[in-house]
Amino acid sequence: MWSSFTGDVELGALNKIADGFNASQSDFTTKIVQVASTNESDVTKLMTAVRGGVGPDVYLFNRPFAIQRAADGVLQDLSSYVDVDELASHYVEFAFNECRWQNGLFALPFDTDARALYYRKDILTEVGADLTLFDPANGPITLAKLEEISALIDKKDDNGKYTRMGFVPWYAQGWHYTWGYNFGGSFYSADECKVTATDPGVKAGFQYMYDRASALGASNVQEFLSAVNRPDAPPAQNPFYTGSIAMMISGDWEIAGLANYAPDVEYGITYIPVPKEGDKQTSWSAGFSVVMPQGAKSPDGAVAFMKYMAGPEGQRVYTTDTSHLPTSKELLADDSLFTEQHTFFRDMLAYSRALPTTPVGAQLWDELTSAQEKVTLNNATPDDVLPEVDNRVQQQLQRYC
Amino acid sequence: MRMQTMTVPATRRRWTLTRGEVRQLLIGLMFISPWLVGFFVFLAYPIYYSFRLSFTRYTGFGIPQYIGLDNFRDMWHDSLFWTSLINTLYYTGLAIPIGMIVAMSLAIAMNQNVPEIPFYRAAFYLPSLLPLFAVSFIFVALLDPRRGIVSRVITWFGGPTIDWFGDPATAKLALVILAQFGAGQMALIYLAGLKAIPLTLYDAAAIDGAGTWRKFINITLPLMTPVILYNVILGISAGLQVFTQAYIITNGGPANSTTFYVFYLYNNAFRYSQFGYASAMAWVLFLITFVLAILIFRLASRRVHYDLT
Repeated sequence: MWSSFTGDVELGALNKIADGFNASQSDFTTKIVQVASTNESDVTKLMTAVRGGVGPDVYLFNRPFAIQRAADGVLQDLSSYVDVDELASHYVEFAFNECRWQNGLFALPFDTDARALYYRKDILTEVGADLTLFDPANGPITLAKLEEISALIDKKDDNGKYTRMGFVPWYAQGWHYTWGYNFGGSFYSADECKVTATDPGVKAGFQYMYDRASALGASNVQEFLSAVNRPDAPPAQNPFYTGSIAMMISGDWEIAGLANYAPDVEYGITYIPVPKEGDKQTSWSAGFSVVMPQGAKSPDGAVAFMKYMAGPEGQRVYTTDTSHLPTSKELLADDSLFTEQHTFFRDMLAYSRALPTTPVGAQLWDELTSAQEKVTLNNATPDDVLPEVDNRVQQQLQRYC
Repeated sequence: MRMQTMTVPATRRRWTLTRGEVRQLLIGLMFISPWLVGFFVFLAYPIYYSFRLSFTRYTGFGIPQYIGLDNFRDMWHDSLFWTSLINTLYYTGLAIPIGMIVAMSLAIAMNQNVPEIPFYRAAFYLPSLLPLFAVSFIFVALLDPRRGIVSRVITWFGGPTIDWFGDPATAKLALVILAQFGAGQMALIYLAGLKAIPLTLYDAAAIDGAGTWRKFINITLPLMTPVILYNVILGISAGLQVFTQAYIITNGGPANSTTFYVFYLYNNAFRYSQFGYASAMAWVLFLITFVLAILIFRLASRRVHYDLT
């Protein structure tokens, strides 16, 4: 099986799963092969290998983008190998739906995740913030309140450059989807086969980022992020771990990251801040899936391994070792698998939303990301960029409608 | 025209070959067959295939669907296509003159008559041997807005802190500067050009009272024009195909400011599975490069001196 994972924790878990599979039966042997890529949706190596007839039997694929490859014809339909309805009953619904395209099943769900607000207790205490505001028992904190606290944390040097920041909404997992969903937006209508980046909620999410950028000084924030968040920096240099940023939106995997690279940091986890008092908390979930590319040499072995890895045996190892969430209903019900922090994320799955299941998912992501960059740099307003996202992605979507 | 009036022996006009000639031709072809196979498999066929694909919609799998000129029409209306083209021309327009000055200066430095010159030559050429991939990462560290040595020097002289890769206004410029790490390659070609200039010309000019600058303007530069032309053409071709740096460092950002033509082409092919559109883009790029090269040749024809004597 090929995987693009590079982190020791994740790779270690995958190897453990492969060993478990090899020991569990004697018909097939599997080996994990690491094929790094710069971007989750970049599958150049897979595409060229499959075309060249030297592709892998199984590939670990970013699930929200799997059906795009199914639509392209890279992946094999698993319907003839497995009982689809029976399998569906074992997985959380959104994750299983992300694997289906037209009438076929092109992937098996592996892990999932959810996003929340991480905060540094030590820094918040230092500036005199009331930590009870961050207690999930009191519901989500409002954005206005968070901004107030964030302003207390912000520090600048003599030249007016930030040296520490409280909260930068678009840092880490503060994506377009995070804020679009948080403001009640919807990015895609499957019924109408339509991209809806100009939806009022999505626009409000982008407007929020635009306004924060302009209040904080767009280029000043960007310069700060470039300095504290270099692409070549080792994981331990994460600005949240070093205390350069006190609050951030991130996912459940950060629990394992913090335990590994910054075990002494005092932090807490709470809901993503909401636009106004009384709003319901939001989150979104993605994750990976296992797929069988065209031309797999040993399809029966591939399916056997996929069922093992995406089944309770594989997911159990991955959940405990990497602090990601399982998509198996059986494991989600098993409290012994989750620590207190991890349970917080698991419970989010009740309301967490999925990314749009569309064959133009990668393009929609890229277009939204480039629109977000323009907005957070204050180079363009949401009204300038969002209609463009609609137009460009809709044009590609049209052929599947 | 003159050819037609020439009397050509009748035997030369025949189109058939004798058995001996066929044998010799086959032996000859066999001798160059490694090149021929390479050429047809890795160059001629892909070129022909991409031309065919440019009129289709194709995900890379299944059967390409013929759509006529739609890809070219879509390109005309694709704002990011134009952005990527402008970014690329901007990059090339900056990288060529800057590269020329840097490479020429290196070549002149490599051409000095001092005993340690082999060491200097190696030192100046060394950065060109590093893979662009590695240089890109070194560069990110050098240009770090706070801790990077470049930024420290600028601020030490009272200049502003520049967020090189984070600011759309400077990201392209930063990549142009990065490209200078490869200047050694061009410098080597310039050096060969410099070596070919007869020293007697300089001696004669010195007798006539010319100083260093006059010698450079009136002897070195004119006699280097063929080499400069060669490097400019190479530079255009390389500049229009800029990709690696954007792929590694900026991923096309911020705000599409480093989304170069080939980067966008790559995204279309491998991320969005639009091989037809990507092939059409490749052919348009070929035409642009071709037209630019012809234009440069035309413009240069009167200014390039091939005669060294």
